[in-house]
Amino acid sequence: MAKIRVLVVDDELIVRESLVGWLRKTGYDVESASGGKEALRKLQEAEYDLVFLDIKMPDISGIEVLQRIKEQSPQTMVVMITAYGSVETAVEAMKLGANDYLMKPFEPEYLLVLVEKLLNQKKIIEENIMLKEQISKRVRYQDLIGASSCMQELFEIIEEVASVDSPVLIRGETGTGKELVAKAIHAKSERKFGPFVAINCGAFPENLLETELFGYEAGAFTGAVKTRKGRLELAHGGTLFLDEIGEIPLKMQVDLLRVLEEKRFQRIGGRDFISIDFRFISATHKNLEEEIKRGAFRKDLYFRLNVIEIEVPPLRERKEDIPLLAQHFLARFRKETNKPVNALSKDALLFLQSYDWPGNVRELENAIERAVVLAKGTVLTKKDFSFLTKGFEGMDEQECKSLEAVEKRHIEKILHECEWNISKAARILEINRTTLHNKIKKYNLKPA
Amino acid sequence: MSHKSLLSKAPIAIFPLGKMGNLIPVVVAANIQGVLNIPVKIEEPREIPNECYMNHRRQYDAGLILRFLRDLEIEYPYVLGITSVDISLPIFTYVFGEAELGGRAAVMSIYRLDRDAHGGHVSESLFFERAAKVALHELGHLFSLYHCNNHSCLMQFSAKLETLDTIPLYFCERCKFLIQRIIYQNPQKP
Repeated sequence: MAKIRVLVVDDELIVRESLVGWLRKTGYDVESASGGKEALRKLQEAEYDLVFLDIKMPDISGIEVLQRIKEQSPQTMVVMITAYGSVETAVEAMKLGANDYLMKPFEPEYLLVLVEKLLNQKKIIEENIMLKEQISKRVRYQDLIGASSCMQELFEIIEEVASVDSPVLIRGETGTGKELVAKAIHAKSERKFGPFVAINCGAFPENLLETELFGYEAGAFTGAVKTRKGRLELAHGGTLFLDEIGEIPLKMQVDLLRVLEEKRFQRIGGRDFISIDFRFISATHKNLEEEIKRGAFRKDLYFRLNVIEIEVPPLRERKEDIPLLAQHFLARFRKETNKPVNALSKDALLFLQSYDWPGNVRELENAIERAVVLAKGTVLTKKDFSFLTKGFEGMDEQECKSLEAVEKRHIEKILHECEWNISKAARILEINRTTLHNKIKKYNLKPA
Repeated sequence: MSHKSLLSKAPIAIFPLGKMGNLIPVVVAANIQGVLNIPVKIEEPREIPNECYMNHRRQYDAGLILRFLRDLEIEYPYVLGITSVDISLPIFTYVFGEAELGGRAAVMSIYRLDRDAHGGHVSESLFFERAAKVALHELGHLFSLYHCNNHSCLMQFSAKLETLDTIPLYFCERCKFLIQRIIYQNPQKP
């Protein structure tokens, strides 16, 4: 590992000598300059990790040297050295980008803590810059991010699959980014200028899913005032993505199979057949083979869907991608929330990598968003993610004293965990879908 | 350091600086001998030159004391000054000791070593232990050692008494190895 390079700039020989002496004893590679001009020359010749800079110097002021350093090498940490009485100038220097200031004479312990803090901060900033570069250059594929070998393989598969028009079945756990894979295939295919229409089959009750997919004619049923196009029709010329295909009721599986085979369908209440042409992509977190065995999924539909199969790995199997993803989400939420959070500390990254992420990338995304929103400082630390290890997240004792309040929070939590997949949530809650819909209505619950 | 001979009987000389009892130099010398296994000679006390005193700080400049010790016309390769006055450097509010990295002179002060965090006096044994630690730490710098990150090493930087009390009275394996290389680089052991 390269030695830390430090430059001490002060016109007082005695200050230079004592500071250089201490820094050398701490093992740093130290140089000194007796004035601003000499300092700028040294800064041209070499790069320094840390600069101690006297504010008052006879040739060029410390403030001017500071501005030049920050223009040339913004990552260099600068500590202004000031005498008692010139603190205001030091504060002014901080506004211009100085990282801290020291008032002579200072406590030896304070110097040690300050140097360690700044070098640690510099390391974090550099790591973040490196990660940002990795994100922008090598590891991004459409909106998918991953430097791991399994993600690189996935990118290659998408590239190959995009060029053909066969149906694709994307498998993967909840929150792994199956829809992003579908979007990437669409974006790379010849249909990229056509629409990308997505629908989560698990998010609708059976009758609503049917109207969403097939549309309806005016007067088809009570309330059908106007004719409405379904998603099948809207996807014409582009890609239709059916998420949670395993949630489709058996009756509708037959209808869907017909659409896929005949490339035409009828709106609900309609008599005319409407021809359609789209690329069909579906996704599921379920084991469809098991579903077939237990009679919940049609074998013929399965074979129709599963021409090409893509497996999206869970986040716990590509933990090396977590820093990249975390950095990506941090940049996004910093922009969206306009909060000055600019980095993740080393302990935060280690913690994020040690966590198992049952909700996969989506859970990581939500965690970063929450941490950014609630952050007090500019660097997210392990403490900012402590909520991940708590059981019933956000359960406020005061708020949840009544049985109804507890029921509401529990249903909300389960729905969130199931990404608003009603069937799945109903199964977990051990109530039927209608009851769940009623409770959602009663508590006015909405997806986040 | 290779030019320095450690063949002489006592490569390290201790100079009591100003008024000080006999006990502290003896304790420090004994600890240096015990830990480094090299002879130490206690010399006659010297006065600290007046120009080392910083009126505005009411402290002595450790850097100027080092210069005074370095320029003493004596044959010892290493010189350690021990004083009971408060010493500091222009940038620091105080120091326990100061040494030339890879050089000849080191100085230490016992001024701040006999108190606890609340200003009360500490036991004599703790006071002696602290003095021995500061002396050996500064000698480590004379042997070209940097501050060590190992918490179980005398070369860990300790600006506070609390830290000084947590470090042991011995060097870590790495620092010990480096010291021994310097001490025993000559085939004839001191």
